[in-house]
Amino acid sequence: MDRTELVRAAQRGDALAMQELLGLLTPYVGRLCGPIALDDGADATQEALLAIFRNLRGLTEPAAVFGWARAIAVREAVRVARRARRAVPAELADVPAAVDVELGVDIRDVLDRLAPEHRAILVLRDLEGLDERAVADLLDVPAGTVKSRLFRARRSFRKEWGR
Amino acid sequence: MSWPIAELDAVRRLEVLAAAVPGAFFAESVVDAPFDAVWAVAADLEGELPRLLRNVRSVRILSSEGERVVADITGTFPLRERFDVVLRPGWCVMQSGRVIGGMAAVPDGERTRFAFLGALRGPGTRTAAPLLRRVGRPLGRGLLDRLRERVAG
Repeated sequence: MDRTELVRAAQRGDALAMQELLGLLTPYVGRLCGPIALDDGADATQEALLAIFRNLRGLTEPAAVFGWARAIAVREAVRVARRARRAVPAELADVPAAVDVELGVDIRDVLDRLAPEHRAILVLRDLEGLDERAVADLLDVPAGTVKSRLFRARRSFRKEWGR
Repeated sequence: MSWPIAELDAVRRLEVLAAAVPGAFFAESVVDAPFDAVWAVAADLEGELPRLLRNVRSVRILSSEGERVVADITGTFPLRERFDVVLRPGWCVMQSGRVIGGMAAVPDGERTRFAFLGALRGPGTRTAAPLLRRVGRPLGRGLLDRLRERVAG
């Protein structure tokens, strides 16, 4: 069964297709929710999968299930992380540039310093490889906001880790 | 450099599945026995399922290939149904034309978290979902009680 058929079967209420789709989506959603919700990553993953499967019948393009699930997962992860009130003060909340992350900095230390919304930008850009326009669309913020956060980050993050 | 990855255990995944199936009921509990002992009972569909579920009279495995199993189950739900089953350690989902069932287990130290889901398929299950959930709850609790007895015995 290809992915489109699998999603269609799951939409029809086929429990075996649903469990197979759940098996495919869980690691992907966990990779997105982990860096955004951090210690609440499992809760965020479960909330995201609940939202995904409750709304599955509304998905009109089964082939796009992963992209559709990604948008839900990122939104749920930000919501769960905010609810957990573990967001850090805004002055440290600049998003590091991809090049800095690749230098070998401990990614968990970096993420701990960021607000959930900014972690989401980092995940979408560096982990998922989306461009700034796509990140802005997915998070429903102006493209300029994403761009300016990334620009500021390239300065402030290098300064932070260059000490 | 590695990104933090969130993992969702089998019991929590079964809870997601239960929320997605109209009218499904879900029961979760901790069994005071190691995972291997609990799953040895739960995965023995032919031998143990009729003992665990009062509305199941007999189970006959027709074929088994990897984690895919086909079983004839006779019970009171209708009298006889053929089920397609996915069965692997800690995870079991079964489905016939009219019934869905599921079990999941994860180790919790020396104990085991265990969950069960049940649902009917077909027209009307979405409308009747609240009623089906209420009716199903005692079935789930009964299975968990009998599972404890079988593991202890």
